[in-house]
Amino acid sequence: MEIFQSSGDESWETYMEEFIGMHGVITDPDANKNDPDDLVEVSLDEKGTFRFPQDCLKIIS
Amino acid sequence: MNISRCQVIETYDWIQGKQDAGELTHPRCRQKASEALELVHDIATGSAGNEHLTALTSLGKTLEQEGLTPECKQLGQKLSQILQENREVFQSHILTHTCPSGDCPQLTPSPCQMACPAGIDVPSYLTLIGQGRYEEAIRIIRRDNPFAWVCGLVCTHPCEFMCVRGRMDSPISIMQLKGFAAEKAISAQRYINPEQQEDNGKKVCVLGAGPGGLAGAYYLALMGYRVTVLESLPVAGGMMMVGIPRYRLPREVIDREVSMIEDLGVEIRLNTKVGRDVSIQDLKNEGFQAFLLAIGAHTSYKLGIEGEDDYQQVESAVDFLRRVNLGNHRKPGKRVAIVGGGNVAIDAARTCIRLGCESVSVLYRRSHDQMPAHKEEVIEAEEEGVGFSFLTVPSRIVGEQGKVCGIKCLRAELSEPDANGRQKPMPVEGSEHTMEVDAVIPAIGQGVDASGLEDLQEISWTKRNTISVHTSSMETHSPGYFAAGDVVTGPATIVEAIAGGKKAALAINRYFEDIPQPSMPPVPVRRRKLDFPNIPASLKMDLDRPNVEVLNTERRRITFQQVHLGLTEDKANSECKRCLRCDVCMRCGKCVQICRDQMGIDALQIGYLDFDNPGRTDLKIAAERCICCGACATNCPTGAMQMYDQDGERVLSLCGTELNRLKLEYCEYCGKVLGPRRYHDYITNRLKDISPALGNRSICIDCARKHSGQVHAETEPPNKF
Repeated sequence: MEIFQSSGDESWETYMEEFIGMHGVITDPDANKNDPDDLVEVSLDEKGTFRFPQDCLKIIS
Repeated sequence: MNISRCQVIETYDWIQGKQDAGELTHPRCRQKASEALELVHDIATGSAGNEHLTALTSLGKTLEQEGLTPECKQLGQKLSQILQENREVFQSHILTHTCPSGDCPQLTPSPCQMACPAGIDVPSYLTLIGQGRYEEAIRIIRRDNPFAWVCGLVCTHPCEFMCVRGRMDSPISIMQLKGFAAEKAISAQRYINPEQQEDNGKKVCVLGAGPGGLAGAYYLALMGYRVTVLESLPVAGGMMMVGIPRYRLPREVIDREVSMIEDLGVEIRLNTKVGRDVSIQDLKNEGFQAFLLAIGAHTSYKLGIEGEDDYQQVESAVDFLRRVNLGNHRKPGKRVAIVGGGNVAIDAARTCIRLGCESVSVLYRRSHDQMPAHKEEVIEAEEEGVGFSFLTVPSRIVGEQGKVCGIKCLRAELSEPDANGRQKPMPVEGSEHTMEVDAVIPAIGQGVDASGLEDLQEISWTKRNTISVHTSSMETHSPGYFAAGDVVTGPATIVEAIAGGKKAALAINRYFEDIPQPSMPPVPVRRRKLDFPNIPASLKMDLDRPNVEVLNTERRRITFQQVHLGLTEDKANSECKRCLRCDVCMRCGKCVQICRDQMGIDALQIGYLDFDNPGRTDLKIAAERCICCGACATNCPTGAMQMYDQDGERVLSLCGTELNRLKLEYCEYCGKVLGPRRYHDYITNRLKDISPALGNRSICIDCARKHSGQVHAETEPPNKF
């Protein structure tokens, strides 16, 4: 996944801005497949694991 | 200065630059700058103590006040300014031994540690397990996660998703190793709590005895707070106890973990719900000055179909699992339909099998590939006899004489992918059919039951019906109230709840100490920096991720015995040998680049350096190509690549993995070490057009000069003028 843009979702926080452009993998897929509005757990390469709204994520491979 | 770079290493480079440029002309100023450089170096390499920052601040002020030259004064002013503006960064480096930006090479954290929401120092505890030092391993884990044993059995292990070894073949079995070490430590009566600070007399109340609440209680108790946990259920453990079936997580495990937290003086009041048995005002009157809300997400989403509320035989997965886990083993029916495709649905289905249901079917509206449940869990469910009906959408629950007798369903087809690549299940018209079942268990999601929190008017709730917090501190919008776990994230993972509880505890401490809350989530702490165990590259490459023994299928179908039986000691120790020690190697690739581009040898095939497009890794190839020139080790910024002479051989190792070992040669004349033959040949070949004098002889430079001088003197008589 790539954090390709910031999100307007209320769960998006200021510190997440610096993650834009970073890559990672979905580590808990339980939510995202069923509900596009759910937060998804993503581990960013060497930056940690966070829950993001799905409108800031895109699949890159 | 570059503000996007870590300010610690940036400060180091800046002072070094001043020195190198000769800007500091006064001897005393140069001396003070050298002292400052040494202190910053210690901070950037993880060897600084608490007094370093004070000493550095004092140096800055001295330089500024003495003002021996304008450059000297400027240096002092700038240093003071940097320390004032970046105090937390410098402090964080000293306290955590971690540089989250990765700019300080020796403090770059490993991907597994960064991925762990609780920030456990994975490489250190794996190294200790590999050495049989289980108690020390558990001590490291429990500094960052009180539920080491629980997470050794049921963690979703994001660390393994990010494990660099996974880019090479398969990730290290980090979760299993944690569980193995926990069992060993508990069995040896060496599963102990970290040292606790003295009682500070301040009282904190935690609502909810799940992983988030109990983790918060643990860290608060360690910091000296008096903690009381209120739990509405008759048992502690939250979803660990009532949501996860016993065949995955035995009750004894949770009970032991909870009792460890009680040993710290934490009081747990069971069967006590805020709003029902006690009010927030009652608790305030009792002297509680801060609250951690960790009530979890214990309600179920409804299917929203006809008949759902009409029959007792329709029981949500959350309710079903709770009552079974609390001891009510009545089977829901003979033929059961479970609706949903997540882990909870699989847990419910496998529980039904164990209760003796004759037929258990999971109905999922999407395809097998799209099931969010863990693949391993799905396979085990199939082995145990759970049936699956994919692309099936329930439309109505039907019954006779007040009892469920079937569930009407439609077949579905997946739509074309939308802009986000998501395919929606579309019911096929006229495909309605009835499945004959006598019980239905919806498992399509969980939500937060906010009842009891009505008094907390200042708490903000999100559109997802979760408590709104700053996730760097878990502070709500109401001072003194913090929240963690599923009540914040919605139904999530145990380790995320633990991480939330830990962050909240740190924030509650700041609240009491009147320290501003952090704007970024905490940085994981490197607990130890251990030597690498040595292992040949061939063994490192050949070891495979171990299979975990599982209970036989017959017994799995009829009992709640633990299914996964863990690792044997041999397997655990071997598995630790596969670790690449990414806490030391920061995967900068300098070694590969220098070997290939500067030396023209290309002996290092390390494909795992690239996160997005990992290439092939073959650590064995170095033994065929490497000349042991040492260029890689000399240029390694972290000391991961090392070259040393041992027992007449020159060894090249990467984090303890012996990539190459070549026999040393010695000078024919003086006996000095020359290096391996392969290196000698490389040099001779490079110099053959310039200096062919040595031929195949093994002579050191000094002796070569003497020899050459002697020949020169013998063959060329001195000129006589």
